[in-house]
Amino acid sequence: MTGRRRSVFVVMLALGIALVAVAPSASGATKKNDIVLRVGTTQDIDSPNPTVGALVSSYEVWALQYATLTDKAAADFKTIPGLAESWTASNHGLTYTYTLRKGLKWSDGQPLTADDVVYTVNRARSEQWTNFDSTIAHITAKVIDPTHLSLTSSIPDPKLPIMDVYIVPKHIYEKVTKKGLASYKGLDGIGSGPFTLKHWSKGLSWEMDANPNYWRGRPAVDRVIFRPFTNADAMVAALKNGELDAAENVPSSSFRQLQKAKNIVGVAGQQGGFDEISMNSGAGVGGNPALKDLRVRQAISHAIDKQTIESRVYNGLTTVADAISPSANPEWIPKIPADKRFNFDLAKANTILDDAGYKDTNGNGIRNMPKGGADITLRYAERSESPYGAPIREFVTGWLRKIGIGTSVKVYNDTQLTPAIGKGDVDMFAWGWVPFVDPDPELSYFQCNQVPTKADPSGYSNDASWCNPTYDKLYKQQNTELDHAKRVAIVHQMITLMYEQAPYVVLDYSPDFQAYRTDRFTGWVKQPANIGPVIFSNTSPSYFLLKPISKASSGGGLGAGAVIAIIVGAVIILGGGGLLLRRRQATAGERE
Amino acid sequence: MTFRFVSRKVLGSLATLLFVVCFNFFLFRVVESDPVSALFRGRNISQQQRQQLQHDFGLDKSKPEQFVRYLNQTAHLNFGFSFETRQPVTSEISARIGRTITLVGISTLLSTTIGIWLGIIAAWRRNTPTDYVVTSTTMAFYAMPDFWLGLLLLAAFAESFRWFPTGGIVNVGSGATGLSHLVDEAKHLFLPGLTLTLAYLGEYTLIMRSSLLDTMGEDYLTLARAKGLRDATVRRRHAVPNALLPIVTLAAVNFGFVLSGAIAVESIYSWPGLGLATYNAIRAPDLPMLQGLFLLFSAAVIVANLAVDLLYAYLDPRVRTA
Amino acid sequence: MTAEVATPRVVGRRRIVWIRRRRALSRVWRMYRASKPGMIGLVVLLVFVVLAFAAPALASSSGLHAISTVQNPTWASPSKFGPLGTDNLGRTIGAQFLWGSRISLFVGLAATLLTMLIGSVVGIAAGFFGGRIEGVLMRITEWFLVIPFLPLAIVLASVLSRSLFNIILVIAITSWPFTARLIRAQVLSVKERGYVDRSRALGASRWHLTTRHIVPNVAPLILANTTLTVPIAILTETTLSFLGLGDPSRASWGKMLNEAFDAGAIGQHAWWYYVPPGLGIMLVVLAFTLCGQALEEILNPRLSERA
Repeated sequence: MTGRRRSVFVVMLALGIALVAVAPSASGATKKNDIVLRVGTTQDIDSPNPTVGALVSSYEVWALQYATLTDKAAADFKTIPGLAESWTASNHGLTYTYTLRKGLKWSDGQPLTADDVVYTVNRARSEQWTNFDSTIAHITAKVIDPTHLSLTSSIPDPKLPIMDVYIVPKHIYEKVTKKGLASYKGLDGIGSGPFTLKHWSKGLSWEMDANPNYWRGRPAVDRVIFRPFTNADAMVAALKNGELDAAENVPSSSFRQLQKAKNIVGVAGQQGGFDEISMNSGAGVGGNPALKDLRVRQAISHAIDKQTIESRVYNGLTTVADAISPSANPEWIPKIPADKRFNFDLAKANTILDDAGYKDTNGNGIRNMPKGGADITLRYAERSESPYGAPIREFVTGWLRKIGIGTSVKVYNDTQLTPAIGKGDVDMFAWGWVPFVDPDPELSYFQCNQVPTKADPSGYSNDASWCNPTYDKLYKQQNTELDHAKRVAIVHQMITLMYEQAPYVVLDYSPDFQAYRTDRFTGWVKQPANIGPVIFSNTSPSYFLLKPISKASSGGGLGAGAVIAIIVGAVIILGGGGLLLRRRQATAGERE
Repeated sequence: MTFRFVSRKVLGSLATLLFVVCFNFFLFRVVESDPVSALFRGRNISQQQRQQLQHDFGLDKSKPEQFVRYLNQTAHLNFGFSFETRQPVTSEISARIGRTITLVGISTLLSTTIGIWLGIIAAWRRNTPTDYVVTSTTMAFYAMPDFWLGLLLLAAFAESFRWFPTGGIVNVGSGATGLSHLVDEAKHLFLPGLTLTLAYLGEYTLIMRSSLLDTMGEDYLTLARAKGLRDATVRRRHAVPNALLPIVTLAAVNFGFVLSGAIAVESIYSWPGLGLATYNAIRAPDLPMLQGLFLLFSAAVIVANLAVDLLYAYLDPRVRTA
Repeated sequence: MTAEVATPRVVGRRRIVWIRRRRALSRVWRMYRASKPGMIGLVVLLVFVVLAFAAPALASSSGLHAISTVQNPTWASPSKFGPLGTDNLGRTIGAQFLWGSRISLFVGLAATLLTMLIGSVVGIAAGFFGGRIEGVLMRITEWFLVIPFLPLAIVLASVLSRSLFNIILVIAITSWPFTARLIRAQVLSVKERGYVDRSRALGASRWHLTTRHIVPNVAPLILANTTLTVPIAILTETTLSFLGLGDPSRASWGKMLNEAFDAGAIGQHAWWYYVPPGLGIMLVVLAFTLCGQALEEILNPRLSERA
């Protein structure tokens, strides 16, 4: 009996070990002495192919793998030389001629020439590559010689000479047809940036190796390993345990704790992101008629206590905001004068609504449309993908109730919410934007032609369905204004106008919460200086600049010996217990 | 077993599979969503690009055309491309299935063996303190939501004591190889494995207990005991083997279900298997991926059922005529 | 049963049925009272039912709303803010727990009723009519049995909009086949009994047979099965809510767990947030299971033979 049972245990154990061994391993390529930087994030990449991917983590891969023609300074986003060491303007600022550095090479050793740059720009324009199109839609590139090229814009473009699209290797991409590009995996791992993609194991990790041919030189870090977590708390624990060197998208709830932890620095990195409550202002399809009335939107603006949301929902880690921020650079944000501000004041909000004729005519606590019309009940969309979706909904619907406005809540994930907004099925929602460095794209979203239409309910950016001809006119002005100071003034005017019209209640400027360990690497750089994030920033310069402190082994967790001891111990206890029971039974049996 | 019997069973399973295939299509087409625009929020894409992408995903065709296309592709084991990663669903699934089978396989193995063992103890010593302790403990585990158990274990052993990692399947970047790599994997497997084992333990224990009690009431066992055989011998030679049949059946059928039952546990422990893939696909929503996963889960149950039916018929001739 | 026939008093037929039922009921109760686990389950259940009904008296619903708890500290442990502490928004856990029990119990019971309704109708219809109708009904039942329960529930819940009613619907849609199969087997065995045959031979209509013989004989099993289905329904609601598929404006225990997990209660070591709802679920599920098993042992003829 004992013999047979033991054999069952042996078989089980063998099966167990076999199963563990079968489990695919992440990679075997990391050598013991390699200097490895381990970064945790909450999002996997969707595709390393820069013409296809869309997620923030994919941008981080491209920022590392592809150098750009012009680079951005870490401190202030100032345009600095990149692959091009210099450039000159001609033809009234419509044409720029760039001179490439000498001896540029791709990571596989192939020469990087003007031909690669021109190939990328022209192909991206003719095939309308999504991540490239807004930058190069009006630009034609021409090769002058292997180290010289020219870019010509068909309209005055205040963004030039900046050219920050990812330059792809022609010798790889010319083998991929237009049709094949959408399904091209982009695992070639050939680039011109400091690190190139070596390995991607979905849901598990992606690994990038130092590029020996990077024009600034080989980075000190040999390999960067990114690890996506579905559970942000698990990521925080891994950082504390020393399984990670840095983490992106740390939950704000554990951020304060992390700041207190030994050897860990928390970074609330500002790069222009903001959160807003958006109201369907009625220029598109459907929407509650009450919100078409500016006075109702203004009353609601008075009824939202940004300070409380900031302290309760964001744990006091964000900055309360007035107006939208169109750029990672704060110079584009205007100061809203005190007399124009919508301060939190429920009594005032109620007065505005009373004066505007929205009274509760049927006595159910909810105001009605004028002349005994329907109850004003707004359809509020809560985003399931944001950890702040539920708490913000808690507060906002509570305050709206206090000014006699009802809400019906429905939860959407982002994919479902986008068309729902376009079709006018939603009156109100909380979401956010993260702008680029140039304010143009963000400002373009609020034009009248970006309002959703019946014909194309998902081809829109203006998610508040707000249309204002003055705004549109100013937008066109700034788009071709080559004088920087004048352009800033126009942009300030646009944003102030939008604030007064209140399609958005901007809640706060939301930072990227990150944290890094100080015991393994030095040289973390914030972009922009002092206020920005250290990783997942616009050009992510930290990775190249990091230097290892010592070759301290990655600590944390249990040693192998201890684990084996625990498992063996457990087996002994289980087996021993069974044996003991059996003994007692045997004697009992014999007694019978 | 007659050929007729086997072929009837197999055909029946195929019919069920066909139903599931059709059901999947209609179920998922109810989801009104627009993956194309969701992928590009915050960026301008032209109408032409949008149409191209819709064409690539086959979303521009009429529903019947989509259905025919879907049937044809499914027959060729082609479940299309994931909306999210643009890679074939089959390769997405095959990259993950091993991890889920590892986790679920080990947990099922452990929970059945331990469950059987505890069930035997409880039945044999029924109405003693041992029985009460075993029965009430396993009942308690059975009554817990599996993810809550996972949360508790995570909070205790990974957050507070830091004995085990909080998630993933290996300590990425440790560069460990050989035995230490294996140990690293075992450490990551421990908590999710323990969660699932404990969560499913109760069912097996309780069923083994009642099945053994049933068997022990039967005449031949009384006879065996009357013959003067020792209790242990009676139990081992006669009672246990007969009581095992229902539990083996349950384990086999359950394996099909358990494959899909690890959704919450896998997402708590960031275990990158099929459960986590399902969770992510629902959030996206990634229709082709969900369809593929759903079909796989259903097929697993169908195959498990067929196997049990055939096994039963093989073991018990009476069933064949039924 | 023969005792009533022997009673000399002349009573109406309805009255006989009534007396017979009342006696059967008191016999069941006597047997039930003898079952210790059954009684423990019942007591626990009663405690939770009382708590659920008394929730408005025990804790003001203002503790549930963020705008009315702005003065409370956040993440306060029970020792700092009694009796059960507060969550990330300063809402009190005690109020959430009590009010959450109402939703969890309501969904569990309502979903079970719907499940029983669908399952019983299908099961009785299939078992009674037989032939082609049975073939079709049971084929459909089998197909639904094969589709993995949880993924189906998740997909349905994410397809439908998130409301209490839809959660109930989803649970019923995914769990009726188990009931249908069970009931149909019981109907088949009842149909074979002698008195049903006799009744049929005497020319009783189908309707008469179903309402007078089949349903009364299947009813006890339905009751036992109901008690065993409630815990499954509650666990399913919990899982769906935990995955973020529950009704956003009503806090159930599952939703509490979902919010605790999302708010990072694990990292905060805020055990007072995630332990009570889980414990509540466990106790209620356990209680229903104990009651159900005790009832099943008494009411299910196949099982009671063994006793």
